[in-house]
Amino acid sequence: MFRLAVKSVRHNPKRLVLTAVAVALGVALAAATFTLTNALSGGFTKLFEEIYAGTDVIVEVDPDADPAEEDPFAATESVFTGADVDEVAAVDGVSSAWGGRQVMGSVLAADFEPTNDVMAGGGPPSQLFNWAGDPRVDQATLVEGDGPAADDEIVLDLDSAPNLGYAIGDTVSVATEAGVEEFTLVGLVRFGESNSLQGATLGYMTDARSAAINGDDGYEQISVIVEDGANQDAVAEAIGEILPPDTRAITGEAKAAEQTEAFDEILQYIDIFAIAFALIALFVGAYIIVNTFRIIVTQRTREFGLMRAIGVSGRQLRTMILLEALVVAVASSTIGIVVGYLGALGLSTLVEAFSGDIFGTVTLPLDAVLWGYSLGALVTIVAAIMPAIHASTISPMEALRESATESKKPLRLRNVVGGALTLLGVLAIVVGLYMDIERPYIPVGAGAMILIIGVTLLAAQVLVPLAYGLKATLTRIFRVDGKLAANNIHREPRRSANTAAALMIGVMLLALVATFTESMKSLVTEQFKGNSADFFVFSSQGAIPTGAIEVIEGEDGVAYVTSTGLGTVLLDGGTTNVGVIDPETADLAFDYNNEPDFDQMDGGVFIDPSMVEAGYEVGDELTLEGPEGTATLTVTGRYLNEGDAQVWIDEDTGHELLGDYPLAQSMVVLDDDVDAAEAQDQLLEALAVDYPLVVLQSPGEFEQLANQFIDLLLGIISAMLGAALVIALLGVANTLLLSVTERTREIGLLRAVGVRRRSIRRMIRIESMVMAIFGTILGMILGVGLGAALVRALEDFGFTTITIPWVWLLLYTISAAIAGVLAAVWPARRAAKLDILQAIAFDG
Amino acid sequence: MTTSTTVTIAASMRGGTKDYGSGDAAVRALDGLDVDIAQSEFTAIMGPSGSGKSTLLHTLAGLDRLTAGESWIGETQITGLSEDKITQVRRDKIGFVFQAFNLIPSLSARENITLPLDIAGRDIDPAWFEEIISILGLGDRLTHLPAELSGGQQQRVAVARALVARPELIFADEPSGNLDSRSGAELLGFMRRAVKEFGQTIVMVTHDPTAASYSDRVLFLADGRIVDEMREPTADRVLDRMKQMGH
Ligand SMILES: Nc1ncnc2c1ncn2[C@@H]1O[C@H](COP(=O)(O)OP(=O)(O)O)[C@@H](O)[C@H]1O
Ligand SMILES: [Mg+2]
Repeated sequence: MFRLAVKSVRHNPKRLVLTAVAVALGVALAAATFTLTNALSGGFTKLFEEIYAGTDVIVEVDPDADPAEEDPFAATESVFTGADVDEVAAVDGVSSAWGGRQVMGSVLAADFEPTNDVMAGGGPPSQLFNWAGDPRVDQATLVEGDGPAADDEIVLDLDSAPNLGYAIGDTVSVATEAGVEEFTLVGLVRFGESNSLQGATLGYMTDARSAAINGDDGYEQISVIVEDGANQDAVAEAIGEILPPDTRAITGEAKAAEQTEAFDEILQYIDIFAIAFALIALFVGAYIIVNTFRIIVTQRTREFGLMRAIGVSGRQLRTMILLEALVVAVASSTIGIVVGYLGALGLSTLVEAFSGDIFGTVTLPLDAVLWGYSLGALVTIVAAIMPAIHASTISPMEALRESATESKKPLRLRNVVGGALTLLGVLAIVVGLYMDIERPYIPVGAGAMILIIGVTLLAAQVLVPLAYGLKATLTRIFRVDGKLAANNIHREPRRSANTAAALMIGVMLLALVATFTESMKSLVTEQFKGNSADFFVFSSQGAIPTGAIEVIEGEDGVAYVTSTGLGTVLLDGGTTNVGVIDPETADLAFDYNNEPDFDQMDGGVFIDPSMVEAGYEVGDELTLEGPEGTATLTVTGRYLNEGDAQVWIDEDTGHELLGDYPLAQSMVVLDDDVDAAEAQDQLLEALAVDYPLVVLQSPGEFEQLANQFIDLLLGIISAMLGAALVIALLGVANTLLLSVTERTREIGLLRAVGVRRRSIRRMIRIESMVMAIFGTILGMILGVGLGAALVRALEDFGFTTITIPWVWLLLYTISAAIAGVLAAVWPARRAAKLDILQAIAFDG
Repeated sequence: MTTSTTVTIAASMRGGTKDYGSGDAAVRALDGLDVDIAQSEFTAIMGPSGSGKSTLLHTLAGLDRLTAGESWIGETQITGLSEDKITQVRRDKIGFVFQAFNLIPSLSARENITLPLDIAGRDIDPAWFEEIISILGLGDRLTHLPAELSGGQQQRVAVARALVARPELIFADEPSGNLDSRSGAELLGFMRRAVKEFGQTIVMVTHDPTAASYSDRVLFLADGRIVDEMREPTADRVLDRMKQMGH
């Protein structure tokens, strides 16, 4: 039986080529991702090992401390005092202990000119630390000059210094949150063995200077070197006993392993993301497989009838076809895995050409092989089941029939099942989106899947009237070619529907994402309508320095600056996100969606919809506990958008609870008679002195920026869907190719009675285009529908308008037509090249 | 080969040679064959299996190319024309009836009949269409798909299609080969009427002496050459001749 299956595949491999390509493409996507993430994991493992290589024991905040139960604010950034360091140093077996702290800042290039470009910023991030002078602690070795001894001295890594335009002796500017700090470059260091920093700048200054810039002489971490021969684990344990609460001592080795594990976890998400897209691609591929096997079974009806006549059982036939599918699956999965691996190899080489050595050795991981084969085999076998069952029901009488056309089974059953599935799918989606249930994505995802299958089944029915409708039009435009094309689409409605549906899925997802992102853009536009601010303040190196706000406030023509801060407080035993605003000015600069306006806050607190859901209401008393203090406040109003912050307080309360909190957003409002463009230049000039990395974006610029990000998102997802679309087009080509083979006689006859090659080609092309456009339109209807439903479900997050992405839809339709023409190239050529005589020969 | 009265030649071939394959496996299907097909005559081509009948028909009709020699449809020399030009000649001047698979399955009987006109973008002559339909008795079958027609009806639709564009020539390859004797006789009768009543020229390949007896002239083929011909054939005479040839 297996031999028969292999023979059958080998006898006519051409008809399976595109099927195999479809499977291989999906498998390659998965395999490439696994290979890449595996190599990335290897590369970063090496990096982490290098970082923690010299340090024997690290003392740090315990990441597992549960802030809700313990004191949530004890474990903030600089937890260790100098005394703690001394105490650790005194523990038995400790040779030396060093308190480490990082300075937030960006080393400016020698030729740095402030620009108002959020993106340009300070370039790659800078990693600045206090200098220990011990390579085991610093992870950096001095290779030239001296270490920083005086407070105005700095060392940089040997690659960044020349890149930024500095030589030893030069004055180096560093933009920090406290303003621009100047240093003299006194030495160059190398990080680890090969200074592989992925483009980041590494720098060290004295301990005193770092404390001064941070405005805090605490340490984030203590690095410990143990005495020769001392056991690291034992020392770590001993240190652990004297540590403040919520901190821990961990060996360097264990820390590296922990980091690697954490990183691998992130990579796992990438794998899942990629598998999702690979599954989409393979799901589309499954449609092609169904079609291919369906057509093959039809073409071999006589052969199967003959086999049945000579005593082969239906079950044996079914097994044979499934075995054929397995042969195809194994072959194409193998190709997919190899292609995926090679693709990953190429991509990693390409990436490393730009970003330096971030990948470990690129090897083919077992995961890739296992996932590749299982995905490939699963999809192929599942897709071949229906055609196989169909084959097993072929009666021996079929062997005696003359023409091998699919029996004209009525579509009734298909319609009933399709209709039921469509309804069920819609229902599941509605439940998921609008009912308040946990894990709504499960019914939504499953519903979408069921809906797709339902629509695919129904599409066959839709195609019948559609093809008739089109026939008249196509006949008018393309005469006989058009008529025949319409007939061909209608002749095998199931086949055409499956083909179109494969494309439908990809387009549906595209349209869904486009609807969502365009609505998101509308949301942005909508939000800017409520904006009266002249500028938004940004920092390209992270938080907005409070000093910069003071600079802006001090300039002529500025009416006021209003800022939003963010923090975390404890409320009734749970952590709660808190937003801090200036009640006097917030609503003047920006029309917040709140009830009443913030100026009615009256020293109280506003709550968001999630709080209302949790049972809090206006008039309640809330006790908020922050790291710096506790306050009991009255709920004086509601903030109506979900997802920003759960409670809102004014600046005084903010300082009381949080101390210095980071600013998430600052808006500048100018005096009435001030020219915005001039003011922007003036303010930037003022900022350039101490805060050169702070930029001002006008609402227009900001909106554009936000839209750029949204477009980027759309772009990335579209690219990931590319594989699915390519497979769908292969499906169109495949179906046409197979049906050309099936129609050999017919095409030969047409040629004999005088139809030119050109016309034959055109006929196939029209057929292809109609199927492609049909699939696209179906996909767009579904995609826009689902996207709209999704947007509506997110109403609470501020989505107010559903924007239909007309431009994209038009683009998709045009692309579909072009794609249809492209997909028809090969089948059309095949059809036009058919040997007339062979086509009309009477022997089978 | 010639008669005393002058006849118009509808198609002809001179030195027609057709080789299949090459080297040791080469087969010479036509071997320097000369033939003229007279207008308004029903010509039958007979011969043993493998004698080159189909090849002759295909090369005469421009479906296949000669290896050597020349052929004409009317005044038009086929040999040497481009594929597109030959297709155009077929479209405008030739009708076909094959043994089977004559019809496009997705088109109705009417659409199949008018296909050559549709392709050429020519208008249907309704009177002519009606006449053909009534002679062939297809009136109540026009909206049916081929799959819904009997074998005899399908072949009659094919004949109707061949006739509808009033081609200069109709080529038929074993048109009754797949039919029972009654349907076959009917079909051949129609073809003969087309020749007698409308002056249609028909060339028919057959290996059935009874079918050949409907023709005006039978050409006997053996090993790619015309070895004999017979006028006003009867089934018995044709059968005798075939027996002589060792069929
Ligand atoms: N496509 C082909 N390739 C090779 N040989 C062929 C081909 N078509 C016909 N022949 C050979 O040419 C000869 C004449 O064939 P054909 O014209 O079909 O004869 P008939 O129709 O009289 O049976 C035969 O020997 C046949 O085997
Ligand atoms: Mg023959």
